[in-house]
Amino acid sequence: MTMLHWIGDALRGQLLLVPLPAVRWLFIGLLLALMAWVVQLPSSETTPSGRHSAWYEDLKIWAWLALMFQVLVYSVF
Amino acid sequence: MTHLTSVDYLVILSYLAATLAIGLWVGSYVRSGSDFFLAGRALPWWAVGMSLVATDIGGADLVGVGGDSYRYGIVMGNFAWIGCVPAMLVAAFVFIPHLWRCNVTTIPEYLERRFSVQLRASVAAVWLVLMACNLGVMLLASAQFMSELAKWDMSLSIVGVAILVGIYTWSGGLGAVVYTDVLQGIVMIGGCLMIVVIGICDLGGVESFIDKVHAAVHARARQAPAPAPTMIDEPSSVTRAKEKLRLTKTKEREREHLSLVLPVDTKSPGPWPAILFGLALVMSPGYWIGNQRIVQRSLGAKSEYEAKAAYVYGALLKGLIPFLVVVPGLIALVKYPDLAADQAGGALPMLVGRLLPEGLRGLFVAAFLAALMSSVSSYLIAATTIYVNDFYRRLYRPHADEGQMLLIGRWTTAGFVLWSVCVAFQMMSFGQSIYSVFQTLMSFVVGPTLAVLLAGMLSSRTSSEGALVGFFAGLFTSVSLFTMNLLSVRTWLDMPPLFRIDAPYLYYSIWAFLATICMTIVFSYFSRPDPAEKTRYSLWEWREEGGAA
Repeated sequence: MTMLHWIGDALRGQLLLVPLPAVRWLFIGLLLALMAWVVQLPSSETTPSGRHSAWYEDLKIWAWLALMFQVLVYSVF
Repeated sequence: MTHLTSVDYLVILSYLAATLAIGLWVGSYVRSGSDFFLAGRALPWWAVGMSLVATDIGGADLVGVGGDSYRYGIVMGNFAWIGCVPAMLVAAFVFIPHLWRCNVTTIPEYLERRFSVQLRASVAAVWLVLMACNLGVMLLASAQFMSELAKWDMSLSIVGVAILVGIYTWSGGLGAVVYTDVLQGIVMIGGCLMIVVIGICDLGGVESFIDKVHAAVHARARQAPAPAPTMIDEPSSVTRAKEKLRLTKTKEREREHLSLVLPVDTKSPGPWPAILFGLALVMSPGYWIGNQRIVQRSLGAKSEYEAKAAYVYGALLKGLIPFLVVVPGLIALVKYPDLAADQAGGALPMLVGRLLPEGLRGLFVAAFLAALMSSVSSYLIAATTIYVNDFYRRLYRPHADEGQMLLIGRWTTAGFVLWSVCVAFQMMSFGQSIYSVFQTLMSFVVGPTLAVLLAGMLSSRTSSEGALVGFFAGLFTSVSLFTMNLLSVRTWLDMPPLFRIDAPYLYYSIWAFLATICMTIVFSYFSRPDPAEKTRYSLWEWREEGGAA
């Protein structure tokens, strides 16, 4: 056993204590936090510059959809 | 897989002819080095987005993920879901637009603008060596898979794929690679979708498929060896406790096969700390922000908005990919539940051979070839771009004009094709294990590259010296961990393994990333801050000054 084994075992022991439902919420929480971040992005960052854009050109919508799908997947599986 | 008929070959030849035609057509518009390396910065979002997805799925992944999902279950879906989508979206809105605005051709070029030429040369050299070797390994892996899938001669496969990919990359550079990726992406998605639809219909529809998967998983979990019988009579309470433990383990295994979040002590390559910290927070951002193979496409986008849109479109597509690559593994599990662990890799070829009729088998082989070719071409153009921009132009011919850059770009492409064929033939004797070794080696560089990129973009206090020391400290960490975990080294040192899963490359990347960040911070603290002409390339100062280019 080396120092690295000792560190690894200690970390592993701590991580084993975390219940899986809490881990699942951590995964989903990460995705929800990203959704919140995407929603608050200014329109200038998510639409084409220098011209009027249609609603479907706002990348916020599609990014939000991609994340929503992930939230669904990690909630079910 | 059974042999291919003439109809199958007709389908495959049509696909190959279309690929070549697209590549040569794009090549007819290439007039300069900028056209060759960045497609004249004229690529539309839809082409870049599809190319990102096609590049990301290699042929080996197509078969490998199918086999792994047969063996470990849907946990493999993590590699395309949380292992891609969050990083792609953060990259889309924060990092890719910044790199695009900086008007760079390569990631090492950005590192010189922000830090130093030493860091640029170091990062470029490490990536170039690995990419050049990986080119040969990819060709060899392609040939091995084609030999298993369709009984093609390996030498012919190596030379054939190399020549074909070489011709269209030589002709059209990045543009040809991206537009052929669009066709390859469509064929790949179509081929996998076909297997999924036919497989599920064959099993009696979606509901019946889900029921049968549960039954197969349950049966597989119960096959686990029962506790060894004891020679002495044991009290009935002990027997009951043992039976209870066995049932609990069976239920855990059953749940694991159909869950994305697996415990720390799972036998699969996806325990949750590796997926969350290694994959989602290090490997994936490193791949989508710091890998030249990937980022080069978005640097060639028409506008900053199109570069962002390509990544968002790619993220949407990535959400669907696990259904196409993981579900076939589950279909195979229902149809052929008795494959041993070492036979799981053959699950997908077996499914294709037995399930698909004449003609459609050819379409699947075309899809498989598409996945292989998009991977090889992405390595080829990335290696060429790094060599020509970060070494030839930067160190040898700083005043080379656009015509010279185009010429040297094309000849370098030809050189790398020749090199990759030689490497592939040289490695033939190593067997398939060499592929996974090189994949692991590639993962060593991702963590340190991401760490110095983030340190440079997010903090103007990070110094050139700190980043250089940090990069090498990260490399040293991952190489040391890998070496110490090798069976021969462990036996020699008489010590237990450092990691308890079979392929701990996600763990290497976490530690390499952390080592790079720590050393970068410490050395930056003790060294002089970089001058303003360097720090202006960080994200925040760039915005304050309204542009540095």
